[in-house]
Amino acid sequence: MGFLVTTLIFVVVGVVASLCARICCDVGPSTNLLRLTLIVTAISCCWMMWAIVYLAQMKPLIVPILSEGE
Amino acid sequence: MGDGGCCQTMDLLRSEPMQLAQLIIPIESAHCAVSYLGDLGLFQFKDLNADKSPFQRTYAAQMKRCGEMARKLRFFREQMKKEGLLPSTKSYRSNDLDMDMLEAKLGELETELIEINANSEKLQSTYAELLEYKIVLQKAGEFFPLAQRSATAQQREFEAQHMGDGSIDSPLLLEQEMITDPSKQVKLGSFTGLVPREKSIAFERILFRATRGNVFLKQAVIEDPVIDPISGEKVDKNVFVIFYSGERTKNKILKICEAFRANRYPVADDMARQYQMIREVSEKLSELKTTIDVGLLHRANMLQTIGSQFELWNIMVKKEKYIYHVLNMLSFDVTKKCLVAEGWCPVFATSQIQKVLQRATLDCNSQVGAIFHVLHTEEFPPTYFRTNKFTNAFQEIVDAYGVAKYQEANPGVYTIITFPFLFAVMFGDWGHGICLLLATLYFVMQEKKFSGQKLGDITEMIFGGRYIIMMMAVFSIYTGFIYNEFFSVPFELFGPSAYQCKQLSCRDATTSGLVKVGPTYPFGVDPKWHGTRTELPFLNSLKMKMSILLGVAQMNLGIVLSYYNAKFFKNDLNIWYQFVPQMIFLNSLFGYLSLLIIIKWCTGSQADLYHVMIYMFLSPTDDLRENQLFVGQKFLQIILLLLAIAAVPWMLFPKPFLLKKQHEERHQGRSYALLHNIDDPLETDLHEDSHDHKEFEFGEVIVHQLIHTIEFVLGAVSNTASYLRLWALSLAHSELSSVFYDKVLLLAWGFNSIIVLIVGIIIFVCATVGVLLVMETLSAFLHALRLHWVEFQNKFYEGDGYKFFPFSFTSIQDDEE
Repeated sequence: MGFLVTTLIFVVVGVVASLCARICCDVGPSTNLLRLTLIVTAISCCWMMWAIVYLAQMKPLIVPILSEGE
Repeated sequence: MGDGGCCQTMDLLRSEPMQLAQLIIPIESAHCAVSYLGDLGLFQFKDLNADKSPFQRTYAAQMKRCGEMARKLRFFREQMKKEGLLPSTKSYRSNDLDMDMLEAKLGELETELIEINANSEKLQSTYAELLEYKIVLQKAGEFFPLAQRSATAQQREFEAQHMGDGSIDSPLLLEQEMITDPSKQVKLGSFTGLVPREKSIAFERILFRATRGNVFLKQAVIEDPVIDPISGEKVDKNVFVIFYSGERTKNKILKICEAFRANRYPVADDMARQYQMIREVSEKLSELKTTIDVGLLHRANMLQTIGSQFELWNIMVKKEKYIYHVLNMLSFDVTKKCLVAEGWCPVFATSQIQKVLQRATLDCNSQVGAIFHVLHTEEFPPTYFRTNKFTNAFQEIVDAYGVAKYQEANPGVYTIITFPFLFAVMFGDWGHGICLLLATLYFVMQEKKFSGQKLGDITEMIFGGRYIIMMMAVFSIYTGFIYNEFFSVPFELFGPSAYQCKQLSCRDATTSGLVKVGPTYPFGVDPKWHGTRTELPFLNSLKMKMSILLGVAQMNLGIVLSYYNAKFFKNDLNIWYQFVPQMIFLNSLFGYLSLLIIIKWCTGSQADLYHVMIYMFLSPTDDLRENQLFVGQKFLQIILLLLAIAAVPWMLFPKPFLLKKQHEERHQGRSYALLHNIDDPLETDLHEDSHDHKEFEFGEVIVHQLIHTIEFVLGAVSNTASYLRLWALSLAHSELSSVFYDKVLLLAWGFNSIIVLIVGIIIFVCATVGVLLVMETLSAFLHALRLHWVEFQNKFYEGDGYKFFPFSFTSIQDDEE
């Protein structure tokens, strides 16, 4: 559940960012497409990293074992 | 060349369409036209006179004139530097100063300046001489009478000893009566002067030896150093007085004085004349001083006026030189009334260039307008990307490896994001990220100031890459939050940790550890992991798998880009016989591995993935038992293995045969078409035929394809493993950070003493900045760059193009000699 929600948050952030970029500085179709590509790439990379770390911790095979003298 | 495909074009993805244009310019307006084209900066001239030497070219004389003017300007700059003046950096808009007028003016100024310098030097040396003379007069006046008396006495003794001795040194100045009447006055000659202090002892010794002790020398030290008239430097000197008798002695002394560069000045015998001479010399000195001062003032004024106009003249001369350099590249047409220029320009610039040419025709009052004419050629145009200050830095690091071939996909587009991202994966610490961001924001804020200044080499590089570093810092902050490291300290920022003790007393926290009780920590690595015994096994496993996943993703992106390239260049062979088998091979092996990783994480299975992958190859038909992750896994693995094995000959064999067939088809058609081209007068390009006359070496093509296939197949394994450097550097960074924090800062804190704490903090800051912020940044930068240049780009990038260097005056202003 937490996974899907956060994924949705990432998608929403991406859409909002692209809309902002389009609204506040609209520079022409080819540059707009470049900006969109950059935003999508950035959001994908960030989401991928978060998803990997989240999935790795969902069903862990090892647990934290505290070291002595804490 | 071809439509991009589905959607509209993207700015930076492919080179701007370029065209080869021919300009026919009448001679009167040639200079104006080239000057305006330089201002526009969108036309790259081709050298049409490449086979001529620099002296055979049309405008060689003008180039020489420009060279002369540049030399004069350099001379002025040196003179100004000696005076300590800097040329003013204000830039004037100039249209009016004619080159001939400028040349004449520079010539005048140069001769005047040289004259002033020469006169000034002469005056200075005269001044120094007079100063020395004054010193000699003053000093010698003190001990001259005394010395003379002693010398006379010594001489009398000497004469008395050698009475009747027919020695060679018979004094000529002495009267014959001297031998009989010692009371008569002894006539001695004297020299006074200055000798440099270092040489004074040697001077004395040699004088004694040469004259066999027949002279009387007295020296006195002058306290302050004196300016030597010949060399112009301050030297310590001694005043000397030499009394001698005899003509031969006099000549010897003269020669020795010359050898030791001792300056001699005449000193009168009696005191009255001496005072008079001192007065005269002082008057002359003050006159000379005023003359010298006036001269220096005049020179300073002249240099001041030069300084105010210097930059303007400098730019003008450089511009002229550049214009003539370009004019030398143009060739004359048959009528000898026009110059013909050939060059590359972007298609979008056509109207701008035509407007510029029209303006040149009007401004230079030419009868005929210039003609702009597009040529068709098979040559490869230069590559031109329109970048702004942000994308320029990223494009440069891509170009450093190889400039994109004309109109192939530019990896720079994705590099803008993936390069800082991969850097951040290796750097992940939001404390360090913030430090880096602050440092680079300083550069970005002071952009305008820094871009005008001349910076040192390293600062120049950092300033040039300020946007790259800014992106790197921003992504580092993000990955820092994901790895949960702030100078290696974790924080519980995004919600409660998922792990707690099994029992309330936490008795076996150190033996069997904590348990996962809550939902997974929502963002990043759980803070409870830091400092535990099992932290490294967990993080290593996580980071290695993350590296593989990111690597496979980036490599797939590379292969997909090669598909878009093939589609753009309408190369169906590449799509079916390169893209498809490559995708199948990579994904059936490493894509499958990525899938297994994700499934293992989602199901929490205990399967050993190493075992699964290795036995997929060694014994694919074996039963999986405890390594089974999903139903039908064995069947799927066998299919994927067969697909991968099939993909290899699919990449290797069909393409050479199909290429051969294509070549034969083309060759069949071509042999009829050759006759058309000879009659066309404008098609002077003969290189277009060379492509088709190239022999098709079947053996070469097969070997090429074999190398390509082996490279891909082996590269699939090695490149995937290469991405593990993401894990390695990230581990190194976090371990270093942890050591500095635990062993320096916490240790210093534990001593409960202010001094130790301060020392500890200083060491911590120095270590963090030196090792982590500088060395690790460079290291991660380098490795991220390598991952892009090799592992990403070898999937699709050819990079054998050449860059578009338009003729532009802005580029010469950066080019300071």
